[in-house]
Amino acid sequence: MTRQVQEAYIVAAARTAVGKAPRGMYRRTRPDDLLAHVLRQAAARVPALDLAAVDDVIVGCAIPEAEQGMNVARIALLLAGYPQSVAGVTVNRFCASGLQAVAMAADRIRLGEAEVMVAAGAETMSLIPMGGHHIAFNEAVFARGEHVGIAYGMGTTAETVAQRWRVSREAQDGFALESHRKALAAIAAGEFRDEIAPYAIEERRPDLASQSVAVRARLADTDEGPRADASAEGLAKLKPVFAAQGSVTAGNSSQTSDGAGAVILASEAALARFGLTPLARFVSFAVAGVAPEIMGIGPLQAVPKALRQAGWSLADLDWIELNEAFAAQSLAVMRDLDMDASKVNPLGGAIALGHPLGATGAIRTATLVHGLRRRGLRRGMVTMCVGTGMGAAGLFEAV
Amino acid sequence: MTSPAHEALTSSFAMTVPQPMFIRRAAVLGAGVMGAQIAAHLVNAGVEAVLFDLPASGADANATARKGVETLRRLEPSPLGAASVADRIGLANYNHDLEALAGCELVIEAIAERLDWKHALYGRIAPHLAPQAVLASNTSGLSLGALAQGLPDALGRRFCGVHFFNPPRYMHLVELIAAPATDAAVLDALESFLVTTLGKGVIRARNTPNFIANRIGAFSLLAAFHHARELGLGFDEVDAVTGTLLGRPKSATFRTMDLVGLDTLGHVFDTQRTQLAADPWHGHFQAPGWFEALLRAGALGHKTGRGVYRKQGREIQVLDPATGEYRLADRSAHPEVVEILKGRAPAERLAALRQSTQPQARFLWRVTRDTLHYAAFHLEHMADNARDVDLAMRWGFGWREGPFESWQAAGWQTVAGWIAAEVAAGEALAPVPLPRWAADPSRTGVHDTQGSFSPSRGTQAQRPALLVYRRQAMPDRVLGEAPGPRRSVFETDAVHLWSAGDDIAVIGFRSKMHAIGEDVLDGLMQAIDEAERNFRGLVIWQDEPPFSVGANLSGPRAPRSDRPKPSAVGTMMKRLRREAESALLKAAHRLNVADALMAGRLEKVEGLVRQFQATTLALRQARVPVVAAVDGMALGGGCEFVMHCARTVAAFESYIGLVEVGVGLLPGGGGLKELTRRAAAEARGGDLFAPLRRAFEAVATAQVARSALQAREMGFLTEGDVIVMNRHELLHVARAQVVALTESGWRPPGPPAPIAVGGRTAIATFKAHMTNLLVGGFISEHDFLVGSKVAEVLCGGDVDAGSLVDEQWLLALARRGFMELLATEKTQARIEHMLRTGKPLRN
Repeated sequence: MTRQVQEAYIVAAARTAVGKAPRGMYRRTRPDDLLAHVLRQAAARVPALDLAAVDDVIVGCAIPEAEQGMNVARIALLLAGYPQSVAGVTVNRFCASGLQAVAMAADRIRLGEAEVMVAAGAETMSLIPMGGHHIAFNEAVFARGEHVGIAYGMGTTAETVAQRWRVSREAQDGFALESHRKALAAIAAGEFRDEIAPYAIEERRPDLASQSVAVRARLADTDEGPRADASAEGLAKLKPVFAAQGSVTAGNSSQTSDGAGAVILASEAALARFGLTPLARFVSFAVAGVAPEIMGIGPLQAVPKALRQAGWSLADLDWIELNEAFAAQSLAVMRDLDMDASKVNPLGGAIALGHPLGATGAIRTATLVHGLRRRGLRRGMVTMCVGTGMGAAGLFEAV
Repeated sequence: MTSPAHEALTSSFAMTVPQPMFIRRAAVLGAGVMGAQIAAHLVNAGVEAVLFDLPASGADANATARKGVETLRRLEPSPLGAASVADRIGLANYNHDLEALAGCELVIEAIAERLDWKHALYGRIAPHLAPQAVLASNTSGLSLGALAQGLPDALGRRFCGVHFFNPPRYMHLVELIAAPATDAAVLDALESFLVTTLGKGVIRARNTPNFIANRIGAFSLLAAFHHARELGLGFDEVDAVTGTLLGRPKSATFRTMDLVGLDTLGHVFDTQRTQLAADPWHGHFQAPGWFEALLRAGALGHKTGRGVYRKQGREIQVLDPATGEYRLADRSAHPEVVEILKGRAPAERLAALRQSTQPQARFLWRVTRDTLHYAAFHLEHMADNARDVDLAMRWGFGWREGPFESWQAAGWQTVAGWIAAEVAAGEALAPVPLPRWAADPSRTGVHDTQGSFSPSRGTQAQRPALLVYRRQAMPDRVLGEAPGPRRSVFETDAVHLWSAGDDIAVIGFRSKMHAIGEDVLDGLMQAIDEAERNFRGLVIWQDEPPFSVGANLSGPRAPRSDRPKPSAVGTMMKRLRREAESALLKAAHRLNVADALMAGRLEKVEGLVRQFQATTLALRQARVPVVAAVDGMALGGGCEFVMHCARTVAAFESYIGLVEVGVGLLPGGGGLKELTRRAAAEARGGDLFAPLRRAFEAVATAQVARSALQAREMGFLTEGDVIVMNRHELLHVARAQVVALTESGWRPPGPPAPIAVGGRTAIATFKAHMTNLLVGGFISEHDFLVGSKVAEVLCGGDVDAGSLVDEQWLLALARRGFMELLATEKTQARIEHMLRTGKPLRN
């Protein structure tokens, strides 16, 4: 069946530290600047690679408009100093955009039509809010009632999943607390040091007193989301946001965030040509659709599909990066797929680390491939639910 | 070329804001609850304010002042006209920022009532004050002479007392007190500023302990304590008869104490006791044991959760002074007392209370007797004239009538005779005779068309001659005072069109809460016609707030409203919303919805909506400018009038909103059309959705602006509309606007340019938003329907985004949406429920 002619390997993976949105460290930092930074830094990790060999740069972005609009991939790769001969394309599969970029880049190589590809993701929710600056729904969504799920906000879908899968508030809060604990422990242990490429933020603010531009520089090298003060009592006090009698709170939902990540993929021939050491092999990728109003359970369909394509079983996986869009959907997915909780998000998830929509897939791929190598593990997965009712899953194997 | 109005303008308008002392910036010393609120009101009024307090020890030296400002954001009702104004209060401390005082024309000191602290502070700031700056203390009772001691001579001439009442934004009264050396010109300038810039009602008080309002108010409380004990009345019983029944705030006597704070009252009582040793009533100035016990226990009232009253679960309990324990607060007014207070003419009320053997009635008579006795005895000592005392009690304590007005209304000689007899019999609280002027057998009252009696001058004192008062065409009048000049143009049962003899016509509504029915619409059209023929402009102005609670779709002509009853500030907003909703529902009431549907009267309703729309268009397109003068609520149709006038002049305390969705309807009179037009104008071809969303949220959640400032932020008022701080100046400013508009060559705007609408995309986007609220259980299916209809009208209907429509298109959509909603069972149920219970129905 497969028309694959060669393997695709990840040879470099870098990401920014993730900032909180809309009032975090990157609140005025442009997404194209963050993206150019990770493109540059990923390349810097493989200095032997001639960037002219890069065929295309595929960038995932969930809301590609304004500062991250107009094909941000092409703009950022030029800003990053890639040769003009390198092309760029921006792709959107909402929350799976970054992972989609990795899969598409891998497939160009696997098909034999490219030897070196770059995949990335970028999203600055501080500047471009969820839904974008100009939300404009189609009246047909409401015409006969059957498509109303398209209008469901993400939180509303999480409440729907919490109800249908009977995920309690206590379980959600417990899961959230654990996410913060794991993330803080990982930061303390330096687990993210390999993947994070520190970014020098430069803020330019008017100093009205001196009538001059005050430049404030600081280095962003640590994820901003994890909270040392998270507590069961604190989480229990939060009010449900999306339903009057609901269970989904700001505390057990992913954080809105800013960040970017990039990975470089190469064929076996390119490995040899440039003397590159692979971090991991791209194994398979799958997407699947579900009802929009329960978008959170998307991985229930996508994960088995991806495993089937690889000929793996869930038990074969050593490390699962399950994007914590909401504790409610994460718990529902883990329970229905019978995931081993100890393998899920060992370094914390989006509830603590943040979820910069289209960047998340690239960022978590970086986390996974570095983590597998560091811990001497082999098989891993990045999976997430996707707005408007989808799931995505990508499998990787350390080499 | 000079019209009468023009002459009036050149003779008075140009002169009415004397500016010998322009206050661009003011400092407030002391960021406590009063100081911070005074600073808030200064910025409400557009005065720059700097709030000082002691330096804090941490990294932020201004932390104390900052905390004061933060408190402002939490207080209810809000001292802030809009949340954003709090950012305009500058923060400062006495260690680092004293040089900032040099830029302040006014410094208001509002620190704790300690003479030594105040002296120390004055010493510290004096070298930093600008040479012409005025220093005023917000003391509530300390002697201005003692406070002024030690001030440099030049500063002493610019030092005085300004006593604000809490909460200063809402309480109209400010007592202005001269210190021994204060320049008369300084007082005049400060009074003008307080009246016209801050919008306050200024009463000049003499420099006596507790000044006027607190002195009489405290005495009246102490008298109530005394007589309640003598007659064995519970505190809840006292409150039952001394609230709205008596024309006092709903919180009556003891609940008011809890709201004010027992500690604050304790200070007032202390001042009375320690500073007024020679007062014949001095023996009664010691606060009773139960009061002292509450103070010791820290039960200070509302702010500590316990005072005279406390809440246990859902039960309200009241202190029993005999046992010191709390009991269920369940005692009410005796039917006989209710009948006397509600059913009798003012002249008979006091007599009936006095003759009754019912303890509650006896209590009311005795407290009234002693309060009148006390006020008359001390009038000469405290104030210039009787009007000042009556207005001080009305403005500072929310009494419907002042003590001398009550006395005069009941018959001066009769009451004087009763008091004299009971003094002689040893029944009054002090054995002193009434002053000679009060006992004068030829006296029929203190207020008349010539003025109000001044014991120190022995004559009737006229209103103050300060120029600033020429701006008050219709000031608060006391009983017996001559009304302002009105020349009637025409009158119907629904409206009155008049002028002050100039060429500006003024129309007022006569319906209850100034609701707008068919008859008001007819009257308004007739008034526009009259104004176009014989006047240079038309002002819509009501004698009393509200401006209007909205449309009354049909029904018989309602009687003219009584003067609105005063109410505790704390419940004001809640009441406002409730009244708005109930008025709205009353509107639909007489419609008798079910019957109307049966009898095909819906067609008639549609005709009325059409007539309403024609009237709002006529307001806009009249040949002469129509100016709305808004004070208080302008809801529903009232808001729609506001939005269509050539200009609106709004008192700061204006509460404007489109609240129709509360009863399952939508604004059909042109309000939505106007919001659509304004959104398109604001977008100027750019993002239309942002202004549409603001409008949608305001209408779909029935938001009511809590000040004229907020109404502007919400888009009900425009930048060109004028905000007036003093409601008594409203008519003056409205007339000035008519003159300004006509003198600037005003012409009706004509039909608007084609209006770009959001169309089906924007409607769908609003529906998407509401879908989440619906699924989340925040709104009902019917809320969704009502919101969808609002969205349809606001977005121009089921057309492509960016389509161009005209006014008639939008008005037709509004009519259709209104009628469709009215035809639904759930909207009808909402209307009927509101009529039956006065509360909104969620269905």
